[in-house]
Amino acid sequence: MIAVIPVRDGVLPAGADEAIAECDGRAVVAGSETAAVELTGIAREALLVELGDVAFGRWAAALCAGVAELGTADVILCPHSPDGRDLAPRLAFTLDRPLYAGATRVTPAVVQLARAGGRELHEVHPAGAFVATLQPGVRGVESFGEPPAVRTIDASDVEPVAADATVVDVLPPDARTMDLAEARRIVGGGAGLDAPVRFEMLAAFAAEIDATIGATRVITDRSWVHHDKQIGTTGVVVDPELYLAFGISGAVQHTAGLGSPDHIVSVNTDPHCPMMAMADLAIVSDANATLDELLRRLGGLVERPGG
Amino acid sequence: MADVDVVVVGAGPAGSTAATVLARAGHSVILLERGPFPGSKNMYGGVVYPRILDQLHPEWWEDAPIQRWVTRRSTMVLTDDQALTVDFRSEKWGRPPYNGATAFRPDWDSWLASKAQAAGATLVCSTTATGLLRERGRVVGVTTDRPEGDLRADVVIACDGVNSFLAKDAGLYGEVDAANYTVGVKETLGLPKEVIDERFAVRGREGVDIEILGGTGGVNGGAFLYTNFDTLAVGCVLKLPALAAQELRPEAIIAGLKRHPAIAPLVEGGDVAEYSAHVIPEAGLAMMPKMTGDGILVAGDAAAMCLAAGIWLEGVNFAMASGIYAGEAAAEALAAGDPSAAGLAGYERRLEDTFVLRDHRKLRRAPGLVLSDRVQHLYPEMIANTVERMFRVDNPAPKPGLRAIFNSERKRAGIKLADLARDARDGLRSFG
Amino acid sequence: MRITVCWKWVAVDGADPDDRWAGVSPADEAALETALTLAGNGGEVTVVTVGATGSDAGLRRATAVGATHVIRVDGEGLGARDVARAIAPIARGSDYVLCGDYSLDRGTGAVPAYLAAELGAAQALGLVGVDRTRVPLRVVRRLDGGRREILDVPTPAVLSVEGAVARLRRAGLAETLSASTATIEVVAGPRPAEHDVVVTPYRPRARMLPPPSGGTLARVRDILDIGAAPAHGDAVTLDPPEAAQRIIDQLREWRYLPRDTA
Ligand SMILES: Cc1cc2nc3c(=O)[nH]c(=O)nc-3n(C[C@H](O)[C@H](O)[C@H](O)COP(=O)(O)OP(=O)(O)OC[C@H]3O[C@@H](n4cnc5c(N)ncnc54)[C@H](O)[C@@H]3O)c2cc1C
Ligand SMILES: Cc1cc2nc3c(=O)[nH]c(=O)nc-3n(C[C@H](O)[C@H](O)[C@H](O)COP(=O)(O)OP(=O)(O)OC[C@H]3O[C@@H](n4cnc5c(N)ncnc54)[C@H](O)[C@@H]3O)c2cc1C
Ligand SMILES: Nc1ncnc2c1ncn2[C@@H]1O[C@H](COP(=O)(O)O)[C@@H](O)[C@H]1O
Repeated sequence: MIAVIPVRDGVLPAGADEAIAECDGRAVVAGSETAAVELTGIAREALLVELGDVAFGRWAAALCAGVAELGTADVILCPHSPDGRDLAPRLAFTLDRPLYAGATRVTPAVVQLARAGGRELHEVHPAGAFVATLQPGVRGVESFGEPPAVRTIDASDVEPVAADATVVDVLPPDARTMDLAEARRIVGGGAGLDAPVRFEMLAAFAAEIDATIGATRVITDRSWVHHDKQIGTTGVVVDPELYLAFGISGAVQHTAGLGSPDHIVSVNTDPHCPMMAMADLAIVSDANATLDELLRRLGGLVERPGG
Repeated sequence: MADVDVVVVGAGPAGSTAATVLARAGHSVILLERGPFPGSKNMYGGVVYPRILDQLHPEWWEDAPIQRWVTRRSTMVLTDDQALTVDFRSEKWGRPPYNGATAFRPDWDSWLASKAQAAGATLVCSTTATGLLRERGRVVGVTTDRPEGDLRADVVIACDGVNSFLAKDAGLYGEVDAANYTVGVKETLGLPKEVIDERFAVRGREGVDIEILGGTGGVNGGAFLYTNFDTLAVGCVLKLPALAAQELRPEAIIAGLKRHPAIAPLVEGGDVAEYSAHVIPEAGLAMMPKMTGDGILVAGDAAAMCLAAGIWLEGVNFAMASGIYAGEAAAEALAAGDPSAAGLAGYERRLEDTFVLRDHRKLRRAPGLVLSDRVQHLYPEMIANTVERMFRVDNPAPKPGLRAIFNSERKRAGIKLADLARDARDGLRSFG
Repeated sequence: MRITVCWKWVAVDGADPDDRWAGVSPADEAALETALTLAGNGGEVTVVTVGATGSDAGLRRATAVGATHVIRVDGEGLGARDVARAIAPIARGSDYVLCGDYSLDRGTGAVPAYLAAELGAAQALGLVGVDRTRVPLRVVRRLDGGRREILDVPTPAVLSVEGAVARLRRAGLAETLSASTATIEVVAGPRPAEHDVVVTPYRPRARMLPPPSGGTLARVRDILDIGAAPAHGDAVTLDPPEAAQRIIDQLREWRYLPRDTA
C-alpha cells in the first residue's frame, strides 16, 4: 500500500497524515515545493515528486508514467481532501483500476466505505489492485518518530497531456467561509434555540470570535440551516479547539462527530444533559436570551437580525 | 378563452376527488398543488374513514395505502393519576368493506391524486395559487407563483385547506375568529411492529384508535393515540385561545401526555420520528363560508368541513365527499354552460342531502360542549373518582351505593345539577 | 456553446425509496442554472441522468426550466466509473460539462473527475464561484484549510459546483405543463457490476491517539473518549446577562477573545 499525497506550495492536505499512516508510513508526496513538506513523524519512507503547479491531468499522467511504485502497489491511497478527491479518479482511470472513494478503513483485502450520507458502512473485498481515498479524521495517527527516508524525482517538465485549468491565485482561509470540517472554532445550535433567526444571530456571534456555525440534526431537518452545517455521525465530523453549544442536548450521534475540543461551553436549561457533562463551562440559562445578551455585549457593531 | 375547463387548487383529499370526478366526466382539469408532491405538507391525526370512496373507487381497499385497519376503538378519560377507558373492538372492521384505517397523508394523498391523474387530470406540483382572476365580478381562473403563471378556467374549485386564501379572496367568508380554531400537534414515534402488536393487543394489519379526554395539561382540548404499522401517532388538539393563555408549548403538553401513567407504558421507548403541527377549523357549521360563488366552489377544510367534535375528529372523509359533490356540481354546470353561482347550486344541495352537512348539524353543539370548562376540567375528575370509589374495597366499611358516590363527587367537583342536566341533554342531542 | 449537465436523481435521505421522496441536490440545480446562464440565448444545454424510470420527473423539470435536450441513460446502482462512461458519449463535443459537487445522497464526488479523464478535458471541481463574464472562464474552487483557489478554465472542461453558486430559476406554468407530458429520450445503459457488499449501520472507527502526555487521569479520560477536555466544574445557573458576561470572560481567559473586549 502506498499513499499518494497531492501538495501545493509545500502544504499537506487535510488527512495526509492519516492516509500515510494507513499505508504504514509509505508515501509519494507529489506536487509543488515538495521539498518544503514537513514529514517527520508522519512517514517512514517518502518519494518526493516535484510536479509544479496543480494540473490534475498532467499530474496523473506524470505519476503513472514516472513512478514505478504506483504500478506495483496493490493499494494507492489518497486523502479524501479536495485535491485528493479530484486526483484519485484520474489515477484510477489512467491505471485502469477500481476506485473506492470515501473509505474509513483500507487494507488490500478489505475496504470500508461510509455511504448513504454516513448512515451506512459498506464493506467490500477488492479482487485486485485498486485506488482509494480515505476520509480525513476517521483514524487518528501515531508518530513514526524518526524523519523518513526520502528520495526525490523531478517531473515538473512533463508535457501536459490533457487540457488543464490554470491556477491564477490561492486565497488564504477566511473563517466565515471555512468548511465546517476544518474550523478551529465552532458555535453550535440545537433544538433549544427557538427560531430560525437565532441561527443568523449565532452566525453574527460566531463572526465576532472567528468561528463557524454548526447545528444538530434536529435543526438541519427543520431546514433552519443547511445540511452542510450538521455536526455528527451523519453530518460533518469536526475537530475544533473551541466548541460552544447553545441548546444542544449532546446526543451521541452529535458528540461522536465532535472530535475532542480543548474547550467546550454549553448553555442549556437542563443541567444534567450530556452536553453539560462534557462542558468546561456549563451554564444553566436560556440559550436564546443569552445569545441576545452576547450580541448586545460583543457587537455594539452587530445589528440583531430580525429586530 | 379558458385554458382549461376547471382548475382545482390543492391536491388534498378534497381536491383529488373533485379532479377525478371532473376528469371522468370528460372535462380538462388542472390540479394545482403547492407541495413537491400531494400530501407532502399535510398532517393529521391519522385515521381515515374511506367508505365514501365506494362509488368513486370500488374496492378501494385493494390498493389504498393504509397502515392498519382500525378494529379497536377506545375512549379514555384521564385525570392526573386516573384513567377510565371504554374499549370496543370488532372483527368486522378488519375485513371488507372495512370502517376506518390509519394511513399516512403523503401516501394517502399521493394515491388519491394518482387516481385523478389516471382519470386524465393534470397534476402540477410545486405551484401555489396566489390569487383569483376575475372578470366582471366572476371568477375566471387563478394566478400562480410561476412565471407567466395565470391560468384561466370556467370553474375554480378551492380545496386549499384550512384558512383558505382563495375562499377569502372570493369574499365567501365572513369575519374569522381565532376562537373557531384549534391547533393539532402530533408526534410520530417509531416502535417495532411486534412491540406495537403486543402492547395494543392486535395482530397483522389490525390497529387501534384511542381518543382521549383530559391529559392536555389543563388546556382545553383532546388527545389521541393511533397505531400505524411500525409507528405510533400521539398528539393533541388544543383550543387556541386556551393555549395562548396558558403559555404552555404544545410540545410540553405532548410530553406531559406521554408521561401519564396510562399512556407511558404504551409509548415507552418510541423514538420521535417526526413532529408536526397544524391548525384545525373546529367550529363546524358556525364558521362555514358560502360554498359557491360565480365560477368558484369551496370544498373540504377550505369550507371548514372538518368535524372536530371531541371524540370525533373526521375531516378527510368530509373533504373527499365534498370534493366529489363539488366535482359533480361543476360537471353539471359545465354541461349546462352556466358556471355562475346559480349554475353551481347543485353543490350545496348535495351537501345538504348527505352526511356532510347533516352530521355537522347534528353535532353542532358538540365542539362547544366537549371543549367547555365543565367537560374539560370537572367531569373527568368526577367520573374517575366515582368509578374509583365504586371499585374500591374499603372494608370494613360496606360498599356505598353508586348514586350516593356520584352525588358526593358531583358536589365535590362543584357541578350544579342544572348544568349537568343541560350538558347531558346537549350530549344526547349530539351524540345520541 | 454546447453544455452538458449531469443530474443525479436520488431518494431523499432516510426516506422510502419512492419517487415522491426524491430529487436532485441543490448542487445539481446550481449546475443547471450555471449552464443555462453560460449558454445564454442560442446555446444548447443537454441534461443527462443515469437512473431508473423515476428520474424522468427530474428531467421533466429540467425541460421546463429551459434545457434544450434531456436524456436518461437507463441504469441503477452503477459505480462512478460506469456512470462517467455512460455519460461520456453524450457529453463529448460539449464546451463544458457541469456537475453538482455532490448528489443528494452524497456519493463520492468521483463522477466529474472520471468524466474529465474520459473526455480528456480539464477539470475544476468543488467550485464556490463562477465568473461567467470572463474568457477563459474564471472560477473559484474550495480547497482545504479554508483556502480558495482561483482558476482559469479552458474548454473543454468538466466543472462541479456547490449549491450556493446559483439558484435554479422557476419554470413557467406553460412550460411546466408541456414538460409534464413530454416524452423523455431513454438510451440503454450498462448493467451494474456484481459486488459483494456487506452493509451495516455506520460505526465510527476507533481513533488512534498520541499517548497522553499527562498522568493517569488524562489516560483514563482518553480511554473514556472525553478527549482532551480538562476536568470541569459543575453547571452554574446564571441569568442570561450574567451568562453572556461569563462566556465572554471565559473566552477572554482562554484567549479566544482579545483581553480588551466588552
Ligand atoms: C441514525 C441517526 C443519526 C443521527 N445523526 C445525527 C448527526 O449526525 N448529528 C446530530 O446532531 N444528530 C444526529 N442524530 C440525532 C440525535 O440523535 C439527536 O436527536 C440530536 O442530536 C438532538 O439535537 P438537539 O440537541 O438539538 O435536540 P434535543 O435533544 O431536543 O435537545 C435540545 C436541548 O435544548 C435544551 N433547551 C431547551 N430549551 C432551551 C433553552 N431555552 N435554552 C437552553 N437550552 C434549552 C434542552 O434541555 C435540550 O438539552 C442522529 C440520529 C440517528 C437516529
Ligand atoms: C392534528 C390534526 C389531526 C387530524 N386528524 C384527523 C383524523 O384522524 N382523521 C380525519 O379524517 N381528519 C383529521 N384531521 C382533519 C383533516 O386533516 C382535514 O380535514 C383534511 O385534510 C382536509 O382535506 P382538504 O383536502 O380539504 O385539505 P388539506 O388536506 O389541507 O389539503 C389542502 C391542499 O392544498 C394545498 N394548497 C393549499 N394552498 C394552496 C395554494 N394556494 N396553491 C396550491 N395548493 C395549495 C396544500 O398543500 C394541500 O395539499 C386532522 C387535522 C389535524 C390538524
Ligand atoms: N447517476 C448519475 N447521473 C448523472 N449524473 C451523476 C450521476 N451520479 C453522479 N452524477 C454527477 O456527479 C455529481 C457528484 O455525484 P456524487 O458522487 O454522487 O456525489 C453529481 O452532483 C452529478 O452531477
